[in-house]
Amino acid sequence: MALDVTIGQYYGTGSVIHRLDPRAKLLFVLTFIVSIFVAKDVYAFAFLALVVIASVLISRVPIRLVLKGLKPLVIIILFTSVLNIFLTRGEELLFTKEIIKDFWTVNIYKEGLINAALLALRIIILLMGTSVYFSYATTPIELTDGLERGLAPLKKIKVPVHEFAMMMTIALRFIPTLIDETIKIMNAQKARGADFSTGGLIKRAKALIPIIIPLFVSSFRRAEELATAMECRCYHGGNGRTRMNVLKMKIRDYVFIFLSLTMLAGVILINIYANGYKLL
Amino acid sequence: MSAIEVKNVNFVYGKKTPYEVHALEDINLSIKENCVTGIIGHTGSGKSTLIQMFNGLVKPDSGKVFVDGKDIWEKPKEISKIRYKVGMVMQYPEYQLFADTVWEDIAYGPKNMGLSEDEVKERVTTSAAFCGLDGEALAKSPFDLSGGQKRRVALAGIMAMKPAVLVLDEPAAGLDPRGRREILGGICKYQKESGTAVVIVSHSMEDMAKYCDELFVLSHGKLLLHGDCKEVFSEGELLRSAGLDVPEIYGVVKAIRKQGADISKYIYTVNGAVDAISRLLEGRDE
Ligand SMILES: Nc1ncnc2c1ncn2[C@@H]1O[C@H](COP(=O)(O)OP(=O)(O)OP(=O)(O)O)[C@@H](O)[C@H]1O
Ligand SMILES: [Mg+2]
Repeated sequence: MALDVTIGQYYGTGSVIHRLDPRAKLLFVLTFIVSIFVAKDVYAFAFLALVVIASVLISRVPIRLVLKGLKPLVIIILFTSVLNIFLTRGEELLFTKEIIKDFWTVNIYKEGLINAALLALRIIILLMGTSVYFSYATTPIELTDGLERGLAPLKKIKVPVHEFAMMMTIALRFIPTLIDETIKIMNAQKARGADFSTGGLIKRAKALIPIIIPLFVSSFRRAEELATAMECRCYHGGNGRTRMNVLKMKIRDYVFIFLSLTMLAGVILINIYANGYKLL
Repeated sequence: MSAIEVKNVNFVYGKKTPYEVHALEDINLSIKENCVTGIIGHTGSGKSTLIQMFNGLVKPDSGKVFVDGKDIWEKPKEISKIRYKVGMVMQYPEYQLFADTVWEDIAYGPKNMGLSEDEVKERVTTSAAFCGLDGEALAKSPFDLSGGQKRRVALAGIMAMKPAVLVLDEPAAGLDPRGRREILGGICKYQKESGTAVVIVSHSMEDMAKYCDELFVLSHGKLLLHGDCKEVFSEGELLRSAGLDVPEIYGVVKAIRKQGADISKYIYTVNGAVDAISRLLEGRDE
């Protein structure tokens, strides 16, 4: 189904990665993303790929599940790579052909191919790494909890951190619900002869009305019910609210943060000293 | 000939993921023409999945579904034609309403069928009247109606397509006793008048006993029992093991039988029991 989404797909195995403090994981993902964009050298990419593979193995999330999460983005990955093959200029020309005289010549350089491969690798590593730490090994609740606690100092300058985290929790929580609902409504309208796949653009857009309106109506209804339910349980914002599970950094979390920083330093060092192919 | 036939059908949700659910396992059944068929089963037994196969909303992983003797997946492109033949009212259909007015909403299906304007008008008026919606209700926005009324609008929307088979997923769920009676009674009346085949999915044994001619019982994705009410309700133990129950009145009659009274084993409606018991009492008076 086109609506396969991996966000919020927790896969509990109880591994070390699952048990880490979400703040440590947030920090890791932050350094991980920075590392990926800092990385220029082939060896640096190889190193980051190893980090991702090791993470998947340690988290004991089936690799097939992680790869399946990439599926919706295959097109984007292919598109960026192909663009790079054609647009990169380098030194070693592999192929050239004049398509329109004096106007458009296709040149494919060796550097273009390598660049395309590295860029694809960069996106894949990025997606796999973040999805393992953020969706498979961390529940949305933990994630927003970590975010709220991690950003708590910002409350001092009147940033509504709690409200922001609560909104994120609710949004994440309702993604699967909304997907389910969309499928149900689509089926109901198909049963009445709706046709979403033929006809021109306008006809197709019109065919969506019978889906979008009920979806909006039920979202508003849900929002209202949720607000009432929260009020009934005396929710009144973050002030004075206590928690059942208070986050506490343990030694392993500090070790993990140390490793994250080491990873970033490692990537920078490889960039400087290694002599592999460098991304342009 | 049977209206719908299902042969060796299997279906798995979330195939090759950790969340795999074998929702249907080797189901064989046939829905008779011109009668009310009931499908019962505990929550999650696969009832909704099964009936969504009848009109091709769900494609079986293996096995075949025949409507009017034709394999519906023979030409996948023409599956929407099957949807006009097998009308389906989904679970909680009130959430599918979208149009400005009730009239427009009921007309959505017939319009999709490409009928002429007069024909659409005719069908909307008839089916709305049948479902107890008058001219005033037709001009209202569907979002201003009560839950029970919304459900009637959804039902009228499907009836207006005049399907050869009408399938309803828990049409009476969440309604009060009067609402249940009106909806289910209305559906049965419609069946008698139009001669279409009707399939009703429900949890309620009482309702099924009252309205259905034929019953299929599902349990954990498998077909557990099949037969008319008599046959199915005489398997009390099996039903209870599947998380279902026989109508309470059936237990009462059974208890009377145990006392040595000469009362039929096959009584499962209150009216039937009243008749039988009064006959029993009359016999004693003489
Ligand atoms: N979209 C889905 N994705 C994954 N699993 C599903 C999906 N829909 C149903 N299932 C699973 O398939 C099984 C059968 O579901 P189905 O909806 O057919 O049950 P049901 O008999 O209609 O139950 P109810 O009486 O609650 O409506 C259940 O175990 C359910 O969890
Ligand atoms: Mg159901």
